[in-house]
Amino acid sequence: VLASQQCCYSGLGFVVDGFHLNIFSTFPFQPVLLSLRRGQASVSYAQSLLGAPETQLTALDNGLRVASEDTGHATCTVGLWIGAGSRYENERNNGTGFFLEHMAFKGTKKHTQTALEQQVESMGAHLSAYTSREHTAYYMKTLAKDLPKAVELLSEVVQSCSLNEAEIEQQRGVVLRELEEVESNLQEVCLDLLHATAYQGTPLGQSVMGPSSTARNLTRQDLVEYINIHYKAPRMVLAAAGGVNHEELVGLAKSHMSGVSFEYEGDVVPVLSPCRFTGSDIRMRDDALPLAHVAIAVEGASASSPDIVPLMVANAVIGSYDLTYGGGKVSNDGIVSLLHSSTPHLLAAWRFWDAVENFRVATNLFFPPLMQHLSSRLARIAVEDKLCHSFQAFSSSYSDTGLLGIYFVSDKHHIDDMMHWSQNAWMNLCTTVTESDVARGRNALKASLVGQLNGTTPICDEIGRHVLNYGRRVPLAEWNARIDAVTPSVLRDVCSKYIYDKCPAVVGVGPIEQLTDYNRIRSAMYWLRF
Amino acid sequence: MIFHSFQESNIYSTGCVPCGHVGAPCSIVLVEKIRINNLWSLFVLICQRFGIAAYRKYSSSGSGYPNISLSTPLPGIPKPVFASVDGQEKYETKITTLENGLKIASQNKFGQFCTVGILINSGSRHEAKYPSGIAQFLEKLAFSSTAQYGSKDEILLTLEKHGGICDCQTSRDTTMYAVSAEVKGLDTVVSLLSDAVLQPRLLDEEIEMTKMAVRFELEDLNMRPDPEPLLTEMIHAAAYRGNTVGLPRFCPADNVDKLDKTVLHSYLRNYYRPERMVLAGVGIEHEQLVDSARKYLLDAKPVWGTSPAANVDLSVAQYTGGIVKMEKDMSDVSLGPTPIPELTHIMIGLESCSFLEDDFIPFAVLNMMMGGGGSFSAGGPGKGMFTRLYLNVLNRHHWMYNATSYHHSYEDSGLLCIHASADPRQVREMVEIITREFIQMGGSAGEMELERAKTQLKSMLMMNLESRPVIFEDVGRQVLSTGKRKLPHELCHLISSVTASDIKKVTTKMLRSKPAVAALGDLTELPSYEHIQAALSSKDGRLPRIYRLFR
Repeated sequence: VLASQQCCYSGLGFVVDGFHLNIFSTFPFQPVLLSLRRGQASVSYAQSLLGAPETQLTALDNGLRVASEDTGHATCTVGLWIGAGSRYENERNNGTGFFLEHMAFKGTKKHTQTALEQQVESMGAHLSAYTSREHTAYYMKTLAKDLPKAVELLSEVVQSCSLNEAEIEQQRGVVLRELEEVESNLQEVCLDLLHATAYQGTPLGQSVMGPSSTARNLTRQDLVEYINIHYKAPRMVLAAAGGVNHEELVGLAKSHMSGVSFEYEGDVVPVLSPCRFTGSDIRMRDDALPLAHVAIAVEGASASSPDIVPLMVANAVIGSYDLTYGGGKVSNDGIVSLLHSSTPHLLAAWRFWDAVENFRVATNLFFPPLMQHLSSRLARIAVEDKLCHSFQAFSSSYSDTGLLGIYFVSDKHHIDDMMHWSQNAWMNLCTTVTESDVARGRNALKASLVGQLNGTTPICDEIGRHVLNYGRRVPLAEWNARIDAVTPSVLRDVCSKYIYDKCPAVVGVGPIEQLTDYNRIRSAMYWLRF
Repeated sequence: MIFHSFQESNIYSTGCVPCGHVGAPCSIVLVEKIRINNLWSLFVLICQRFGIAAYRKYSSSGSGYPNISLSTPLPGIPKPVFASVDGQEKYETKITTLENGLKIASQNKFGQFCTVGILINSGSRHEAKYPSGIAQFLEKLAFSSTAQYGSKDEILLTLEKHGGICDCQTSRDTTMYAVSAEVKGLDTVVSLLSDAVLQPRLLDEEIEMTKMAVRFELEDLNMRPDPEPLLTEMIHAAAYRGNTVGLPRFCPADNVDKLDKTVLHSYLRNYYRPERMVLAGVGIEHEQLVDSARKYLLDAKPVWGTSPAANVDLSVAQYTGGIVKMEKDMSDVSLGPTPIPELTHIMIGLESCSFLEDDFIPFAVLNMMMGGGGSFSAGGPGKGMFTRLYLNVLNRHHWMYNATSYHHSYEDSGLLCIHASADPRQVREMVEIITREFIQMGGSAGEMELERAKTQLKSMLMMNLESRPVIFEDVGRQVLSTGKRKLPHELCHLISSVTASDIKKVTTKMLRSKPAVAALGDLTELPSYEHIQAALSSKDGRLPRIYRLFR
C-alpha cells in the first residue's frame, strides 16, 4: 500500500506518473517438470534454477507447525495462520473474529499501541491481518534480517493482546463504519448474500464481519473466550517466505511459541458441523443502482477434494471478461474497474487496492487469471452482443464444501440473456467441451497459479493456507501433474457431478426486474437435447 | 426481497420446501414457498429414475483421473528438483550493445517465466514539435496489427500459447512495450516485440478505435473521484511551463482529431531509433536474449523507413514555477450510492533534482520522511504512521482529508510536491499548513525519523524488487538513462549514508526555487500565487496577513 500510494515507481525512484506497478501480471516461480518427466537423473545448474525452492515443514511439541520457503530475497513475509474464522462462530457471537482482528494491533501486554506501531514502522515493516470464513492470519512483511523481531512481535500480538476496554469502545465505531462501507461494494455484498442463501441456517452462511449488533454489544470477555477456544497450537501455522532459514525460524518458534496451549478447557474440542448447501435465491431489487450484480453458484468441491482441479480448469475455460480491459490491455486493473462501478470510495486509488486485496484473501475466492480470454466462448458472446460489463467464473472452497459459480455485472436489459449464456457455458462444460478448450484452460490455470505467487507475501499466504487445509504445501509440480491429467472426458464427468441438474444458489442486487425466475434458472441446469 | 428455497434432497420427493434462516442484512424477508403438485413430482421422479436427460452418469474411476485427496501427495510424480538460492545475489545485470546502437540488458532469476520488453526514450516530453498526445495514442495502439500479425487477437493468441501477456505503458519520458511469458517462448516473444515496435500497420480503423479510447480516457480522467492524475498533470504544466516534462501527458481534446498515420510516422521515424532503445529481460540467459535480438532487431527495417532523424528534441527541462488552476464543481463526484464530501485539492511543489545527481538519494529519503496519505486510509502499522505529514498534519488537523508527498524525478530535473485536500472553506488554512511543512523541511531532521525514513526507503525498494516485472522495469529504465544499472545493494548503501545535513542542504537549495502550484475544485478561498511564494520564502511559512474587511 505504501509503495503504490507514495511512489509510483520501480526500484528506487525513476518516477513515472500514473504508472501502476502491478500492471504486468507475473509468473515468478515454476518447478522443473518437463525435463524431469523424461527420467533424467541429473539436472544442470540452469535447469535447477528453474525450480522453486522447497517448502520445509516442522511440527513443534505442542502441535504448532512451522513451514517456510527460502527464496533468497532480501525481504520476507512471516505470519501466523490460524484455523479459526466466522464459520466457528454462532448467531450470537458472529463477527467476534473480525472484531478481534481490529484489536490485534492496539497494543500487547508488553508494548503499548504507540510502541508497537513505532517498532514496526522503524523496521520499515508492514503488519497486517485478515479474517475469512475458516482462516485468520496475522502477518508481517519485513527485511529478512528482522525476522527474529517480526516473529517476536507476531507471537506477542497473538498470545498477549492487551484487549484494552477503552480501545474496544473505540473500535466499535470503526467496525460499524466498515460495515457501512462494505455495503457500497456490491461485489462483496453479492458474494456475502450468496453464502447467506446457499448455506442458510448453517454457520457458513454468516458473513465474516457479522451483524452490527455484535459490534455494538460484544464484551472483552467474548474476545478472551474466542482466543481461548480457538488460538490453539495444533490449529496454528507459522509460515514464512523470502530470505528465511528454516532452522532459524524453527528456533524462533520454539522460543516464542512453544507456550501456546494445545489443551481445550474441559476437553471440549470445537468440531465443525457439516454445512448444508441449499439451492435457493435472494433478490434485492434496487432500481436506483446503475448496474445489476448477479451471482449463480452450485455446490463445488471441498478444498482437499481432488475434483477441485478439474473444477478450476472448468472455471479457466469459462474465463472472465471486463469491458474496461480495452484493446489488449491486460492488467490487474480489471478487478479495480469491476469494483469501480459500484464502489464510491473514496479519495484515492490505493483504497481500491486495499479493498481488492483484502477481499480476495478474506473470502478465499479463487478467480481465474484476469486475462481477456479471446477464445472463451462466453467472453466472445458477451463482447459481440454487449451482454455485460464484466463476468468472472469463481470458486470458493472450504474444508468440506465449496461454491462454484459465475458472477456478472450487466445493465438491466441484458440480465436474462447473460444468465442464459452463463448457464449455457456450464452445460457446454458438462456435455460438449472440446480438447482445445480444455488445453487452453489448463494453460491459463497453470499460468495463473504461478502468476499469483508474485512476491513473498502471496507465497507465504499460500503456504499458510495449504498447511491448514492439506497439512502440507502442495508443490507446483504436483499441481501441474494434476492439471495435466484433466482431459475433456474428466472435465465432463466432474462438471456433471457438480453442475448438471443441480439446484443453484442465485443472488441478484440492483435493477434486477429482469433476473430470470428461479424455476427457469433451475430448468436450464440440464439439457433435453444437445 | 423475494426468497425461494429449494432443498436439494427434498425438492423432488416431497414437493414442499423447508425454508431456512437467511442471514441477509435486510429487515423484510418475504418467503415464498413453492408447492409442487404430486403429479409433477412423480413425473420428475420418473425422469430421475429412468434417466431421460435429467440423469447423467459420471464416474471418476473410468476416466483415469487420480482420485487422491490434495492432502496426500500424488504417487508417481518424480521428486522435483528444488532450486537452491545459493548465489542468487551474485546475479548481475549483463549489458551488450549491438552494432546499430540498441542496448540489451538482462538479469537472470529462477522461474519458468520471464519478462522481456523494449524501452524507448520517447514520451510526452518529446512532443515539442508535434501535436501533443502522440504518446497516449501510441500506448493505445501498441500490439495492434503488425506486418506479421493480422490483428491484435492474433498477437494475443500467439502469446496465449506460451502463457504470455503483453502491455504497453508510456510516461513523460519513456515508452515501454513488455511481455511476460514462458522462457521457452523467448524467440517468439522477441520477434513479436520487434514487430510490434517497428512494424505496426496503424490501420485507419485502429486509429479510429484509438481516438475513441483516448476520448473515453479523457472523460474518465475528469470524472473519477481520485484527482491525483489530473493534479500531477497540472503541476507539471505549472512547474515546466510549455517545455519538456511540462508538456501534456494526456492528449488535449482538440488534438484528438489532428493525429493520423502521417504524423505518427514522422514522430516514430525520429524517436523509435535503435540507439534510443533498450531490450531488457528478466529471468532469461543473456546469450539467448542477445541471439534473439540479433535475429530480429539488428537488421529490422522499420515500416517508416530508415531516413536519418531530423528535428529530434534535445532540450533540457527548464523549471519555471507558476500556478495552474482549474475551477470545478466537486460537490458530487461520487460514482455510487455513498456521497463523497466536496473537496478542494491543491498540490504545491518545488524543484528537486534529476535522478542522475547525487542529491537524488537525499531527496528520496526526504520524500519518505514526509510520507503521509489519506486520513481514512486502511491498513495496519507500516503505512507510514510516523511520517511528518501524518504526525504534523493529519493527526493534528482532523478536517484535512489527505496530505501526501510525491517525488517526480527525470533525467534533467525533478519535482517534490505535496498533495492536500480539504473542504473548500478551509483552503487558505490548508495551504498555510503545507507551506509551513515545506519550511520545516529546512530545519534539522531528528535522528529517529531520519533513520526510520532510511529503513523504510530501503525496505520499500527491496519489497518492490520481489516481483519480476518490477525488476524488469528497473533494469530497463536504469540502462536506458545511464547505460548501466546500480544494483539494489549499492542503492541501499547510498541510502544508509544519507545524513541530516544532506537533507538540510538539499532542502535549502530546493526552497530557493519558485513554487509550482496546482489547484482543483472550488477555489474562492485560495490564496494568491504571490502569497504562497511569499510564505515559502518566509522564515515560518505563514501566509501574509490580509484584513478580510479590506480585501
